[in-house]
Amino acid sequence: MERVRKRDADAFEALYDAYHRLAYGLAMRMLGDASTAEDVTQAVFVKVWSSPELFRTGNFGAWIARVTRNRALDVIRSRTVRAETDLPQALPESESVEDTAFARIDRELVRSALASLPDEQRRPIEMGFFEGVTHQEIARRTSTPLGTVKTRIRSGLRKLRAQLEMTVTT
Amino acid sequence: MSDLQARGHEDWLDDVAVYALGAMPMQDAQRVRAHIAACEICRREYALLQPAVGALAESAEAFTPGNGPIVASPELKARIMRTVRPERPGAATVPQTDAPVRRSVAPRERPILWPVYLVAAACLAIALISSISDIMLSGQLKQSQAELAQLRSRTNALASALADRQAAISDLLAAGAKHYPVDNGEVVRSGSRLYIAMYDLAAPPRGHVYQAWTLPKGSKTMAPSLTFVPDAHGVAFVSLPAGASETSAVAVSLEPEGGSKQPTTKPLIVVPLD
Repeated sequence: MERVRKRDADAFEALYDAYHRLAYGLAMRMLGDASTAEDVTQAVFVKVWSSPELFRTGNFGAWIARVTRNRALDVIRSRTVRAETDLPQALPESESVEDTAFARIDRELVRSALASLPDEQRRPIEMGFFEGVTHQEIARRTSTPLGTVKTRIRSGLRKLRAQLEMTVTT
Repeated sequence: MSDLQARGHEDWLDDVAVYALGAMPMQDAQRVRAHIAACEICRREYALLQPAVGALAESAEAFTPGNGPIVASPELKARIMRTVRPERPGAATVPQTDAPVRRSVAPRERPILWPVYLVAAACLAIALISSISDIMLSGQLKQSQAELAQLRSRTNALASALADRQAAISDLLAAGAKHYPVDNGEVVRSGSRLYIAMYDLAAPPRGHVYQAWTLPKGSKTMAPSLTFVPDAHGVAFVSLPAGASETSAVAVSLEPEGGSKQPTTKPLIVVPLD
C-alpha cells in the first residue's frame, strides 16, 4: 500500500489481483447482479488509487471489505427507500492480532462456519450484513420480536467468532 | 440512574452486536457508539465481535450463487487499470472521481481531427462575416460622423447667431448708439455697425420680400443689401453688412422674391445718416 501511495501502478495492480475477489465477491453477494457488482468493485479500487490516504493502518482486506460494503449499501439504498443503517466505526480493536489472523484463514472455512450457525441466527446476520437492512426491518420481515433479533445476532456472531478462533488455533 | 441501571447490560451488549454488524439505524447507532466509548465491557464485546463481522465479508469471496465460483470479468481489471496506467510519464492525470467507467466507453478515444477544407471554410466564413461587419460599422461610423458634423455646424451657427444677437442687443443698448426713428421702427448706428429694426411690419405679398438698401458715401446709386421678412409678430431685425462709416443712407423697399439690383418700388423708409 505504501507503494500505491507513491503512485506505483504495478503495486496497485498487485493489490487488485490480491483483493478484487474479496471486493467483487462481497458486492456480488450483496447486490446479486454481476454488472452492478463490477461497477462497485471498480469504484472501490479507483478510490484506492485516487485516495490511498483513506487507508491508514491495519488489515487492508478488512478495510476494503468495509469500503465495498458501504458502496454496495449505497446502491441498495438507491434501489429502495429504507431506514439507513450506520456502519460501525473502525475502533482500534479492529486492528487486533485476531483480526489479522482471521484475515489469513481460508475463505471456505469462514463460509462453513457461517453455514453451521442455526438458521435463526445466520439469517438475521446475513440480512443485516449483506442486505443492509436494520434489525427493526429484520424483526418485521421475520415476524420476530426486536429483542429476540438482537439477541440472536449477538449469539450468532459470538459463535462465529468462536468457530473461527478454533479454526485458526487448530 | 445510569444507562446500565436503566436498561440492564445485556440489552447494551445486544445493541453492540447489532451495531458491529452494521444493522443499527443511524439515530440509534450514535447512542450505542457513545456508550461503547464510555463502557469498558461493551468495548471488549465490540472488539470480540468485530473480527467475526469482518469474516462475513470474506466469506462472500467464496459465495457461489449458481454452480460456479464468482469471477469478475477480465474487462473489469482492464477498465480499472486504464484509469491507473495513464499516469505514466506523458500521460493523462489521475481521475479525481471514483465513478465507474462504463463498459460502453470506447477502448481508445482519438482526438477529433477537422478536415483542412472545413477549417479553411470556417476561416473564410469568419473573414467574410468580419468584413461585412467592418463595412457596416464603417458606414454607420461615417453616417454618425456626418450627423455629428452637421450638428456641430448648426450649433456653431446658432452660437454665432446668438453671439451676433447679443452683440446687436449690446449695440442697440449702447450709450453711444444713434437711433433714427421711422414709421414702425428705427435704424440704429452703433459704432461701425448699422441695424434696421421694424415693428408691426406687414407680411410681404406672395412672391415678394423686403429688401434693404445702402447708399455708399459719394454715390448716388443705392446698393442692394439683405432681403428679409418679418416674423409672425411683424418684427424684423436686420444687421446690415455695410459699414456705418462708408454709408450715407439706408432704405427698405418691397421687392420680388430673390431681391433686386435696383429698387423696383417706392421705398418704405429712407433714412439719411449724418
